[in-house]
Amino acid sequence: MKTLYKLTVSFFILISVSACKSDWLEREPEEILTDEQLWNNPELIISTIADYYSRLPQHTDFGGPYNCGSPSAYCGWKDYASYDEAMWSGVSNFDFEFRNNLIEYPFARWSLWNYDLVRDINLAIDKIGAVNSPKVPDAMKNQFIAELRFIRALNYFELVKRMGGVPIITEQLIYDFEGDPTYLQHPRNSEEEVYLFIESELDAITDLLGNEGSKTRANKYTAIALKSRAMLYAGSIAKYNNLMASPITLPNGEVGIPASKAAYFYESSLQASKAIIESGAYQLYESNPDRGMNFYEALTVKNGNNEVIMAVDYAVSQGLRHLFTLENIPRSLRQDVENVSGSSALSPSLNLVESYEYLDGSVGTLKGVGTGSNTAEGQANWIFYDSPAAIFADKDPRLSGTIILPGSTFAGQALNIQAGVYTWNASANKYDRVEGSLNSQYTDGGVLTGGDGPLRNETYVSATGFYLRKYLDSAPGAATSAVRSDIWWVRFRLGEIYLNAGEAAFELGLPEGVSYVNRLRERAGFGPNSLTELSLARIMNERKVELAFEDHRVWDLRRWRVAHERWDGTTTNPNANIYALFPYRIIRPGHPDDGKYVFDKFRSSRTTRPRYFRYGNYYAEIPQTVINNNPKIARNPFH
Amino acid sequence: MIHYIKLIVPLIILSFASCELDNYEPPTSTLTGTVTYDGKPIGVRSGGVQLELWQPGFALNTKIPVNIDQEGRFSASLFDGTYKLTFLAGNGPWVVSTDTIVVHLNGSADITVPAEPYYTISEETVARNGENIEASFRALAVNDSRALQSVGLYVGTTAILDNINNKLKVELPAADIATLDDPISLAVNLGPELSSRAYVYARIGVRTSGVNEMLFSPVFKINR
Repeated sequence: MKTLYKLTVSFFILISVSACKSDWLEREPEEILTDEQLWNNPELIISTIADYYSRLPQHTDFGGPYNCGSPSAYCGWKDYASYDEAMWSGVSNFDFEFRNNLIEYPFARWSLWNYDLVRDINLAIDKIGAVNSPKVPDAMKNQFIAELRFIRALNYFELVKRMGGVPIITEQLIYDFEGDPTYLQHPRNSEEEVYLFIESELDAITDLLGNEGSKTRANKYTAIALKSRAMLYAGSIAKYNNLMASPITLPNGEVGIPASKAAYFYESSLQASKAIIESGAYQLYESNPDRGMNFYEALTVKNGNNEVIMAVDYAVSQGLRHLFTLENIPRSLRQDVENVSGSSALSPSLNLVESYEYLDGSVGTLKGVGTGSNTAEGQANWIFYDSPAAIFADKDPRLSGTIILPGSTFAGQALNIQAGVYTWNASANKYDRVEGSLNSQYTDGGVLTGGDGPLRNETYVSATGFYLRKYLDSAPGAATSAVRSDIWWVRFRLGEIYLNAGEAAFELGLPEGVSYVNRLRERAGFGPNSLTELSLARIMNERKVELAFEDHRVWDLRRWRVAHERWDGTTTNPNANIYALFPYRIIRPGHPDDGKYVFDKFRSSRTTRPRYFRYGNYYAEIPQTVINNNPKIARNPFH
Repeated sequence: MIHYIKLIVPLIILSFASCELDNYEPPTSTLTGTVTYDGKPIGVRSGGVQLELWQPGFALNTKIPVNIDQEGRFSASLFDGTYKLTFLAGNGPWVVSTDTIVVHLNGSADITVPAEPYYTISEETVARNGENIEASFRALAVNDSRALQSVGLYVGTTAILDNINNKLKVELPAADIATLDDPISLAVNLGPELSSRAYVYARIGVRTSGVNEMLFSPVFKINR
C-alpha cells in the first residue's frame, strides 16, 4: 500500500514538473506590464494618466490621511482649521487638536519636492512619442502628450507656489554609471522662469487637449483656467513682494519676481480669464431662486452644473467616496454610532461670518453683540432679536450658502443652536448667564442648551456657534460610514475666473474690472452694479467670502504678502484669532424682552494660540535630503 | 521536554546579548554659549531664533538646530568632535553674517558668538507710576542698512516675555519717532486685572523692518 502511494505521488510530481518545463523560461509576467503592452494600449494609457491625476499635490481637499499629527504634513480638509476660516471642534486627541494650539507655522509646512511624478510624466511623454502602433494614431498620441503636459504644468504650479523657483526638468534624467552624477544636478530656475514655463506649456497645448465637456480630465478651458490662476499669482508676487519693506529675494531670482514683470503677468491672466468668460462655454450656476441655496448648489450639484470647470469627482456607486460629510455633519443630525461617527469637526469662525457684507454694501460686522463677560458693561450693546436667525437678516446670501447659521436648517431638518439662557437679576441690574450640557432643558420648560450646542470645549459639537454647509452632502446616508459622500472637490470654477479677471483688470488700471466682480455679486444676490469701484481690500474680501473653504485663502494671503500682518501671532490682533458667536435666550417674565435672543462674541477658548505666519513661511523649506543630493540647490530665505 | 529547555535558554541569553550591542551611548558633552554684541548678550524671543550646528566629514549633512533662549543663551548635547556653528540667514535681529565658528568639543565648552544687530537698546529704565508702566530708553543704530520699523513696551505676568507672549503691549512706529538721538518714552496702562498683581514683568523691544524677530532688553520685574 505504502509503496503504491509513494509511486503515485512521485508520478504526479514528475508529470506536473515536466508539463511546465517546455515554456518555463518563456512565460509572460503576470504582475508586470511591459512597455510594449502599456504604451500600445490606449485604455492602459488612460489608466496611467488617471494615476498621474490622482498623484497631483493637494492641500485642503477631501483626501489626506485620517491620522495626521504633524503641522508640516499633508492632511487634507482638516487643515481648514489651521487658518482663519474655521477651528477644530472634532475629536480632541492631539493629532487633530494641535491645529488650535499651533504656536507658529513650521518652515517645512507646504514643503513639496515631488519630482517622482515629474519623472514619471517625462517618461510617459517619451514612451508615447515613440509608439508606432495602429491602435495609437498620431492624433491620439498628441492628445495624450498634451494632457500629460497639462498635468506637469499644474504640478509645476503647485511646486512654484509653495517653494518658489524649482529646477525645470522636461526630460528623463538617466544615470550613465560612470561615477559622476553632477551632470544630473540641475540648479533652481528662477521663480519667474517657472511661471513663464507654465505659461508657454499651457499655450502650446491649449488646442491639442480635446476632452470637450469633461469636468475631470483637462480640456482647452481647464488649461486656460490654470493659466488665469497661475499668471495672477505671478503678477501679484511681482507687485506685492517688491512693495514689502524689504522684499524676499534670492540673488539668482530663485524667489521673487522683478516688479517690472507685474504688468505682463496680469495682462496674461486677464486675457486667459476673458477667453473663458467670453467663450460662453461655462455659465454661473443660477438654477435656484433662493440665492443662498443656489450658492450651495453651485458647488454640490453635479448634473447640469455648467459653472465647474474641473473637479476631483467621487461616486458612491464606484466605491469612490469620502468622509467629509460624516466628519462635519451638525451634531444633532449625525446618523452613525457614536464611536464610529465624528461630527462637527470644523467650526467656521465668526471672522468669516462677519466678512460677508450686508446687502446694502455695508461692512458685515454683526450688530448688537455682547462681549460674553457676564457683566452689565458686557451686555450694554445687546440688541434683543426676535429669533436666532434675525441677526443675520439682510446679509450676503452666500453666507447661508456656505455656513449653517443659528436658526437655520440642513436637508430640511431644523437645527437647535443655542448656548444657554440669560435670566434677569434685578438686584445686580444685569442678566445672569446659565449654560447647560448638550440638549438640556431649562426650568421654564424651554431649551437651555440646544442639541447642536455650541459648547466651549466639548468634542464633536460646534465651538463657534456655526457649522459648515459648503460640501455637506444631503443625500440619504451620506453621514454614515457605510455609505459616505460623493460630493466632488472643485479645482476650478467660473466664479474664480470672474474674480481673477476683476483683480487682474484692477491691477492693470482698467475700469472693466469692477464689472466682472459685480457680475459675480449679482449671482450671489446683490443688485446689479452693486460696486462702483474696486480696491485691493474689496477684492481680498470678495475672494474670502466667495472662495471660502476652496483652498484659496492661505495661498491668496501669501501672494499678496499680507499673511505676516494678518496672522502676526498676537492675541490682540482680531485677524489672527478665532472668534465665536454664542446665541442665548432671554428669561425675564413680564418684560417685553422675555423670550428674545441675544448674542455674545468672544475669542474661542479652545483655540489657545493666535495664527503666526513668519517671513520664512512665504517660501517653504527645501528638505535637507534634497540639498544633500544636489548641492546646486539654493536654500530658501530665512531657513 | 528537557531538549526544548536546552534549546531555549541559550536563545534567551542570545536575545539579551544582542540588545546591548546595538545601543549607542547617549551624547555626554555639552556646548553652551551666548550671542553677544559689545560684550552684552542679545535678548530675543523665546523659541524664535535658531543657530545651526553642522558636523563636517560625513557624506550626508543634517543640521542640528540650536534654539536661543530669550537671554541670548543656547546649549546642545553633543558627541565630542569638531562642529561648525553658523547663523541662519535672516532669522535673528542681526546683520546676516556668513561667519562660521569652528568648535572643537571635548567634554564641554562655553563659547561667545558675536553678532552685529541693526539696532540695540541702551540706558533702559522701566518703572511703575500708579497704574502705568513707564519706560525710557535709547534705540541706537549699530548698522542702519535696514530701517527701524517700531519700538515696543511689553508687559506680562510671566518671565518669558516677548512680542508674542504678553498681556499688554504698546508699540510706536518709527515714523512717530523724531530722532534716535533723544531717549524714547513709552507708557502703558495696566488696567484693573494687572494692576492688582503683586508684580508684573516688562520688557522693551526694537523691530527692524524686513526682519521677523525683534531685539529685546532684559526682562524687568516690577513690584507693586
